Amino acid sequence: MARFAALALGLSLLAACTNNPYPDADQGLKILYRPLAEPPRTLDPAVSYNAAEHQITGVVYATLLDYHYLARPYRLIPGLAREVPHARRLPDGRVAYRFRLREGALYQDDPAFALGDASALTREVVAGDVAFQLMRIADPSLASPVIATFAKIEGWDAFSQRLAALREADPAFGQQRIDAQYAAAGGIPGVKVAGRYQVEIVLSEPYPQLLYWFTMPFTAPVPWEAVERWDGEEGRDFFKDHPVGAGPFFVTRFDRQSRIVLDRNPNYYGLRHPEWGAPAAVYPSEGEPGDAPLGRLDPAYVGRPLPFLDRVEYRIEKEDIPTFNKFLQGYYDASGILQESFDKMVHEGALSEEMARNGMQLEKSVDPDVYYIGFNMDDGVVGSSAGEQGRKLRQAMSLVVDSREFARVFNNGRGVPAQSPLPPGIFGYEADYVNPYRQVDLARAKELLAAAGYAGGTDPKTGKPLHLSFDLGDTSTRGRVRFQFFVNQWSRLGLDVEIAATNYNQFQEKIRKNAYQIFMWGWIADYPDPENFLFLLWGQLAQSKRHGPNTANFANPRYDELFLRMKVAENGEARLALIREMRAILERERPWIELFHRENYTLFHGWVRNVKPAGLSLPTARYVDIDPELRSRRRAGWNQPVRWPAVALAAGTLALVVPGIVTFLRERQ
Amino acid sequence: MLAYIVRRTAYGFVTLIGVLLLLFVLFFLYASPHEMARRAVGEKAPPEVLEQWIVNHGYDKPKVWNPEHPFDTLLVEHFRRALSFDFGRGDADGTPITQRLREGMGPSLALAVPSFVFGLLFSVALALFVAYFRETYIDRMGVIVCVLTMSISTLLYIIGGQFLIGKLLRWFPISGFDASPSVIVRFLMLPLVVSLASGVGGSVRFYRTVFIEEGGRDYVRTARAKGCGDLRVMTHHVLRNALIPILTRTVVVIPFLFTGSLLLESFFGIPGLGSLTVDAVQGNDFATLRALVFIGSLLFIGAQIATDVSYSLVDPRVRFE
Repeated sequence: MARFAALALGLSLLAACTNNPYPDADQGLKILYRPLAEPPRTLDPAVSYNAAEHQITGVVYATLLDYHYLARPYRLIPGLAREVPHARRLPDGRVAYRFRLREGALYQDDPAFALGDASALTREVVAGDVAFQLMRIADPSLASPVIATFAKIEGWDAFSQRLAALREADPAFGQQRIDAQYAAAGGIPGVKVAGRYQVEIVLSEPYPQLLYWFTMPFTAPVPWEAVERWDGEEGRDFFKDHPVGAGPFFVTRFDRQSRIVLDRNPNYYGLRHPEWGAPAAVYPSEGEPGDAPLGRLDPAYVGRPLPFLDRVEYRIEKEDIPTFNKFLQGYYDASGILQESFDKMVHEGALSEEMARNGMQLEKSVDPDVYYIGFNMDDGVVGSSAGEQGRKLRQAMSLVVDSREFARVFNNGRGVPAQSPLPPGIFGYEADYVNPYRQVDLARAKELLAAAGYAGGTDPKTGKPLHLSFDLGDTSTRGRVRFQFFVNQWSRLGLDVEIAATNYNQFQEKIRKNAYQIFMWGWIADYPDPENFLFLLWGQLAQSKRHGPNTANFANPRYDELFLRMKVAENGEARLALIREMRAILERERPWIELFHRENYTLFHGWVRNVKPAGLSLPTARYVDIDPELRSRRRAGWNQPVRWPAVALAAGTLALVVPGIVTFLRERQ
Repeated sequence: MLAYIVRRTAYGFVTLIGVLLLLFVLFFLYASPHEMARRAVGEKAPPEVLEQWIVNHGYDKPKVWNPEHPFDTLLVEHFRRALSFDFGRGDADGTPITQRLREGMGPSLALAVPSFVFGLLFSVALALFVAYFRETYIDRMGVIVCVLTMSISTLLYIIGGQFLIGKLLRWFPISGFDASPSVIVRFLMLPLVVSLASGVGGSVRFYRTVFIEEGGRDYVRTARAKGCGDLRVMTHHVLRNALIPILTRTVVVIPFLFTGSLLLESFFGIPGLGSLTVDAVQGNDFATLRALVFIGSLLFIGAQIATDVSYSLVDPRVRFE
């Protein structure tokens, strides 16, 4: 019996001796394997506000609008809507957008639809679903992070308040069906459903950026039946774990902590109605000039209905190194590059020979973001109340910060030195613009500092180096080394800048109490519009006054006036002129020292087709294709187990131990 | 014995209250409800959304003292939830905590039970082996290897194991987990090997000492004098009489099979309760942390009492006063 057990154990060990983390049956399928650094907190599109979660919700839910996959700058195209709506000015100054939905688009199959019709497995997407989802965002009990974004929709806040009041007045009200609660609260007056397929959004004031929010999962139509059915009661899932949408994929397995599987949705309008030729549901036929040579306009794909994949599979991978090694073994299809492995992967900005031999592709892209050092303009020394002295101090400090060197030392040279808040790819970014205060010039900085009354960095009041506080929310060694880089650069001016690092929570408290002087922060765009960057310095959003995202508390009347005009202007020469003037104000006033826009280097295996990095958190899985045969061949070649060390180890142990046993037993006899 | 158990349970209850109090103090020293809200709803959420989240999750109450409603405080709520086993929902993602515990227990047990069983059998067998060959080079070599393996950090075993076995030798997946019967063994092998390698040195050293001590006693000499074979002496006499130290070491560990290993689960991506604990700490998920700490303490206290009781079962000479 013992021998049998040992044999069985040995055989099972031999069988288990493979590093393939996937079932053998999945070998021939077109599956895109992706790692997720942390489990999704929620897949409820009204609440989820995280790039990784949007990769899932973005393909499960079909949005009314989309971005063109290949065109840059980003261009809006219709999704579930028949066309991109235009703003219609109403006589009283309000603005309306009318969305016309495609007729006949279906949701994925789901048992929830039995709530509406006992025999139904799915149903048509209708305009009421768009209104329902907007009401969900306005529902205070959901605490949607974008509730304030839509506040310009007429009657938005009043609806939230009515709903909250009704629930508070009568606890039984909250037990009603969710759509009945919204109806009882009177709905949102500015969201008008006209028939089955039209919905009009009325805004109290112009807000052209609204359309971008209709490319995001937040506003995707959601069936009330799914929210009602998946309530977490009596063993049922929660809606946040059981998304029900009309997108190209649907969730078929949700093991929150280990594995999330999305299968192709046969009800997706792109697959059911290829005759529509819906722009967001077929592979594009045009793109940027460089797309064709890189194989992104392959005739084999152009015009074909999406998606191409059978499945997208996410595995939770919390650690970077194992994830990257699994990518190298062929078990993930794409990966960023670990800093430690950068030199092995990339040589002089291109893929190293070794990686190119393995058939990999390297894609570079600049993220639509900006990282910066900010001055608290409310501060008496570095802020606006210090007048010309403070301005010259900020200008001098800006002149010695070397972003290129920072990128070289800490990020393998990745990162585009920022000249203004606007990154490449965003309207208003001009590659040839050079900010005179973002070119390293120590001599000029010293002159400016002397002109500010701090000659040699000395504070005339104390006779000692001017003491400043660099307030940061990161106490890690890695963070400190980075911050010290800037402090060292300022010390060349003779300034005594102290790093006041606390944990992030305490840092946020400092921000709330307006008790900070110099800080470092970053911003990642929600949508590709200059408004989404320049609002960070709009006086109306100052942190100290409105708890807004303008942490520098910058308030310049001319800038604010220009911002309001730029915000509603169409992209064109007039808007560009406004942006240039705003940029000139920032250049002179220096509320920020712009550091860099992140540059992404992504590796893809040769079996992945139609890859184009998208800086925004755009879900790209529906455009991508996989060659599973090539993948299987390469994986088999790279992953043959090396068994001899096990034999050698066993033999070595026996060789060491057996003579001892024999000798011992002989002596005993 | 009953009186002893009642007394120990009462001590245990006091310990439990202390643990809960300490958790409350330490957690809120480190994190504020605003920080929890920010983690849950995202960095870009406006302040009013953060406030709404705080209200929705009940963290708007006074922490310790509420002069108007003395029982309407976070501290009272904290004790009420823990002691009534009404853990509620996680702060991070709103999932019922009992569901998370159920989901996490399986993967934790899948790794911890084989690690425990194989680790115990392997350590005892190896300890008996080196104890039998005591004073020979096998014994000395065993001790050196044990000390060496004890001296290496578990983290190094994990990273080294992933590099050597997962990456270079390609025997098992580097990390990950899939509960499907066809592949689960693959994912457990590497953490199992790492767990055995990192834990076996200390255990073998300890058991060897116990066995050698027992081997020198009079009853062993008597057994040998009566013609008992070496194997029988080691397994029937020495092993049986060394059970108390073995029990002390093992019974205390059993409850932690359920709560999982923080390091192994985190690094190998095994979605067990150890990994959940790390996530709860990193995500400022107070509700989940409370449940895990409370259950961990409860199991530990229970195991201490069970260990004491088990002494009397294996050694009739032990009596409780």
